[in-house]
Amino acid sequence: MRGVLGHFRELDGAVEAITELKTARLGDVTVFTPTPRHEFELAVAPPVSPVRRYMLFGGLAGCFFGYWIAIWSSNYWPLVVGGKAIGSWIPYTIFGFEMFVMIGALSTVAGLFIHARIPRLTMMVGYDPRFSHGDFGVWVECAPDRLSAAEALLRRHGAVEVRGER
Amino acid sequence: MTTIAFEPRRPNIATANVQLPAVQSYEQVDDEITATLRPTKAWFLMLMIAMSFLAIGVASWMYQIQQGLGVAGYNPPVMWGVYIITFVFWVGIGHAGTLISAILYLFRAGFRTTIYRCAEAMTVFAVMTAGLFPILHLGRPWKFFWLIPYPNWRLLWPQFKSPLVWDVFAITTYLTISTTFLFVGLIPDIAVLRDREKNPTRKAFLSFLSFGWRNTEREWRHFARAYLFLAAVSTPLVLSVHSVVSFDFAMALTPGWHTTIFPPYFVAGAIFSGVGMVFTIIIPIRKYFRLQHYVTLNHLDAAAKLALTTSLVVGCAYLVEFFIAWYGGVQAEQDYFWNRVFGQWWWAAWIMLTCNMILPLSLFSQKLRRNPAWLWILSIFINIGMWFERFVIVVPSLSHEFEPWQWTTYAPTWVDYAILLGSFGWFFMWFLLFVRQLPVIAISETKEIVPPRLRHAHRHTPADAEDFEPQTGRAH
Repeated sequence: MRGVLGHFRELDGAVEAITELKTARLGDVTVFTPTPRHEFELAVAPPVSPVRRYMLFGGLAGCFFGYWIAIWSSNYWPLVVGGKAIGSWIPYTIFGFEMFVMIGALSTVAGLFIHARIPRLTMMVGYDPRFSHGDFGVWVECAPDRLSAAEALLRRHGAVEVRGER
Repeated sequence: MTTIAFEPRRPNIATANVQLPAVQSYEQVDDEITATLRPTKAWFLMLMIAMSFLAIGVASWMYQIQQGLGVAGYNPPVMWGVYIITFVFWVGIGHAGTLISAILYLFRAGFRTTIYRCAEAMTVFAVMTAGLFPILHLGRPWKFFWLIPYPNWRLLWPQFKSPLVWDVFAITTYLTISTTFLFVGLIPDIAVLRDREKNPTRKAFLSFLSFGWRNTEREWRHFARAYLFLAAVSTPLVLSVHSVVSFDFAMALTPGWHTTIFPPYFVAGAIFSGVGMVFTIIIPIRKYFRLQHYVTLNHLDAAAKLALTTSLVVGCAYLVEFFIAWYGGVQAEQDYFWNRVFGQWWWAAWIMLTCNMILPLSLFSQKLRRNPAWLWILSIFINIGMWFERFVIVVPSLSHEFEPWQWTTYAPTWVDYAILLGSFGWFFMWFLLFVRQLPVIAISETKEIVPPRLRHAHRHTPADAEDFEPQTGRAH
């Protein structure tokens, strides 16, 4: 992996640089921002996050488990009361719902971790602590012959610091 | 070129689109919020007091285990007392956190931004406290795990039709989800702390907790989506948990309990008490840490309106209970409600009515809604009133059932009071430790409100105003 890191103090400079990098197709762009901004989302135009599917499938699995554990254990150890069903779906809806929420939410977090690629053991090339403080970063991963073009582009849009990393 | 404009707002109008005019930059947010992490003498003193209360509670519990539940003031048939009252009280306190962090997030209520972290932490610690009380209430607390369904040598499974087992599932789910919600929201803020930390041991610890978060656009995109879905599933969870707690009572035939109004009544009461506790905590914090320009009067005003609304709902529920008792024509029910307000338990009922119905009416005054001192005093009354609400639900019903020979009285003993005190010690100990270790105001979400630095100065025009989203300060 080889590329250049542009360090921006201003939001609009970083957004303009990303837009032009995408147009020029100089390489893969990674943006660092201390807080989520729609401007970056528009500039990067990423696909929709698939995390919602984890919620759906995790929730359905949880709901099934909630009903199953209650019905199965009622049949396994029946408490027979005259005229009453051994497995009763109305109160068991509580277990279905609670497990839907619990497994669904935990699956969503798992989806976040998988797609955001965390936990991460190393901070990787291109990270700078200033990006969690107040500044913006644009990391361009590109072929060696395009490094100088990327560097010039970043500087033109107001990067206060540009450095090559590998 | 991206252009962003910011429209000044009238400072004395509480609105969902809250801005922080005194906060100018991302760096200021980091500096001022992380300054709350420095330990002070007052913090140590408060922690000592909280731990002393906890020690009193633990010692009393040990005494109860040795002597038996008889020392706790139970008087058959009043076999639910202070422990169940306090359990419901703390579960209720825990509701405001998820309401503020999840439901208000879905409603895009901007005033939540600077108070939700405190409320979320309060939720987790309140539910942790609540979870202790059913165990304290058990004669043999070491057998609490019998309520958990797992294959065992006894070949016994919990009775899944019992509201007490519903409670176990509801509270466990609520604690898990509240903790997850709090922790997921904390990850970017822990990354901020990690990057500013000088101490290598603490830095390594924060690096571990932040999971190597790097603030990339990719991370934020999945984070925002996951947070949205967590908020979406937490919303019905908030409503369900206290409904399930209310089933503990409503499923019984006891006068005063067997009513369908209980679930909404309990949920409204829980939110009301939770907002009260948010005031109790956030008002001293904003003053002590000088965060008045983050938790502004507009925020307090908006939260006070929430307290007023839920107070009116709770007040309405109180009155409807009386109406149903009269209209239902059941003698035992009517006698019970008469006994509650004008008989044996009049003092508890009037404390409840005064604190929860009458005093909160003061919040119709904008002056009082914007007066932090009054809000704090009122929040103490709300806490007291809501504890007594649960007292009035639990004790008068059990002491005045159908048969006159069952009628009795109930008085908590010093053990009950000591364990109640210990629960406050336990709650505040965790909260104080949290305040010292992690930011009490969400750093990354607060930064969303703050205007970013721009390279190109921009003049505000009416056309820009249409493109401007005031809550977040973002251009569309």
